[in-house]
Amino acid sequence: MKLLVVEDEALLRHHLHSRLSESGHVVEAVADAEEALYQAEQFNHDLAIVDLGLPGMSGLELIGRLRALDKTFPILILTARGNWQDKVEGLAAGADDYLVKPFQFEELEARLNALLRRSSGFTQATITAGPLRLDLNRKQALLDEQPLALTAYEYRILEYLMRHHQQVVAKERLMEQLYPNDEERDPNVIEVLVGRLRRKLEGDLGFKPIDTVRGLGYLFTERCR
Amino acid sequence: MIRSLRVRLMLAAAVLALLFMLALLPALQKTFSLALQESIEQRLASDVTTLISAARVENNRLMMPVLLPDERFNLPDSRLLGYIYDRDGRLVWRSRATANENINYQPRYDGRGNEFARIRQDDGEEFFVYDVEVKLLGGKSAAYSIVALQPVREYRETLNGLREKLYLGFGAALLVLMVLLWAGLTWGLRSLRRMTVELDEIESGARDGLSGEHPRELLRLTRSLNRLLRSEREQRGRYRDSLGDLAHSLKTPLAVLQGVSEGMAQRPADREQARVLQSQIERMSQQIDYQLQRASLRKSGLVRHQVQLRPLLDSLCGTLAKVYRDKQVEVAFDLVDDARVPMEQGALMELLGNLLENAWRLCLGQVRISLGKVDGMLELCIEDDGPGVPPDQRERILQRGERLDRQYPGQGIGLAVAKDIIDSYDARLTLGDSPLGGAAFRIRFTAD
Repeated sequence: MKLLVVEDEALLRHHLHSRLSESGHVVEAVADAEEALYQAEQFNHDLAIVDLGLPGMSGLELIGRLRALDKTFPILILTARGNWQDKVEGLAAGADDYLVKPFQFEELEARLNALLRRSSGFTQATITAGPLRLDLNRKQALLDEQPLALTAYEYRILEYLMRHHQQVVAKERLMEQLYPNDEERDPNVIEVLVGRLRRKLEGDLGFKPIDTVRGLGYLFTERCR
Repeated sequence: MIRSLRVRLMLAAAVLALLFMLALLPALQKTFSLALQESIEQRLASDVTTLISAARVENNRLMMPVLLPDERFNLPDSRLLGYIYDRDGRLVWRSRATANENINYQPRYDGRGNEFARIRQDDGEEFFVYDVEVKLLGGKSAAYSIVALQPVREYRETLNGLREKLYLGFGAALLVLMVLLWAGLTWGLRSLRRMTVELDEIESGARDGLSGEHPRELLRLTRSLNRLLRSEREQRGRYRDSLGDLAHSLKTPLAVLQGVSEGMAQRPADREQARVLQSQIERMSQQIDYQLQRASLRKSGLVRHQVQLRPLLDSLCGTLAKVYRDKQVEVAFDLVDDARVPMEQGALMELLGNLLENAWRLCLGQVRISLGKVDGMLELCIEDDGPGVPPDQRERILQRGERLDRQYPGQGIGLAVAKDIIDSYDARLTLGDSPLGGAAFRIRFTAD
């Protein structure tokens, strides 16, 4: 998933960036609200982590501005004070959950996953489409209850397509899921990855859930639950 | 001790007026009685003159007409008595009214002329006496004492009547004075009452400071109070801001340390040290939270707040419903729309936030919030249908605020902060069973 992290403390920002990247997310970590607004306008994120105590424009104002820009991705706030006034104001401004500093990374991850799951309309930690089952916590795909050997990139593409099932997903969006915004990209990589993914899904059962929509992108045709 | 300024002033004025009247009364009576005696003397003198002009002397004998020109001498029941004695003190004539009287009076024919005196009879009755010595009557030599008497009783009655009237008059004057004084004090103390009303409004949060429309004598007081109120408010604001900054500047480094320790924990050799580091970080973080919240949420000294409960509950429940979206908690309210709680907004929010989150976290699907009077005291109750708290652990849970250094894993500082806020408002927190099946946290406010 593509995450936006807004935290002014460089060490914490770096820590969040590396831990979240290790967990298989593409992370954009910025130090202030202005930069965060720019990132949010330019790219499509699946979730934002916002520190309330930002210098300049406050985290609270940033959340309000993001929502005013029609950004509907879930927002998790980080608060140092941990008082209810901040939590209530943050959630009223449009955030979806809060976490009080200092926090254990496991807790942050659990909250993130819950928010991501909810935002794509799933209440369980698994997504099922016909014989295919995706375990979101373990980041593993099972085909007919047999583990499927997928690379990290292949898994990310599959998860994104299943979360946005029965919608046309542009190549650009899949690209964002794989690389940070400032990295070199080669659109052919997506075609190669999707081709490999199709072959692995097809296996012995002939399961073909991914269609190509010419000029627009890809479509996961199976209904996911 | 008398508490009311007005009653004190009224009492002082009444005592003063009473003392003044008590001093005035004898003087007035004295003056009047002197004037009365003087008029009696004059009247008796004129009565004696009447007798003198009626008397004639023939052959050295005193001759008096049967009827005297003054009617009062002729009537048998008259109170005016007339006697004439010769120079040796023998009675030679007495007026008709003296028939029933037996006056024991001995004139002194000693050449001193007129005398006005007061004599007392054996039976206790007193008389005013006017005694005139004459040497000539109708041009003939004659030596007589001509005496007119009048009982003192009438004089006394007049004097008593006067005293009664004076008492009545003074009493009525005192009453009128008190009524006027009351009205005057009411007018004068109105500004104090207005100040009381304004202070009530400040306490209830409807007003920020006292108005400038007070008498000159009170302006110094109201200005000082306003300064005090303003500085308290500003100080609280500054205090809260710096505590917030402090929390931010302490806890963000802790979050970094937490991250570092998690990194360490991934290396098997450092796992034990990472665990120690993490537990210390957690402890520091809890201490910071607890002490900062404690410092910022204590009851304010000057202003007594009344916060509407419903809007606060709505925003907190909205927040919790969003955070615990997957849980679908059903919240029941048992309180009137305008219900108010005597606490400051920020403190009430932290208190309710902590208790409600506790309920949300532990409940199966039901939370009930009620506010009502129990034994005449306001009681706020938060119940859930969770597992509840076993009776032997309740005391420990509520005592945690005082022994934060003893760590019980799995518990935040929420309850400790809540307990502290409640204590600072002189309220009582008790933990019991709820009919819903879980815990019931009851906060009882002392009637203030």
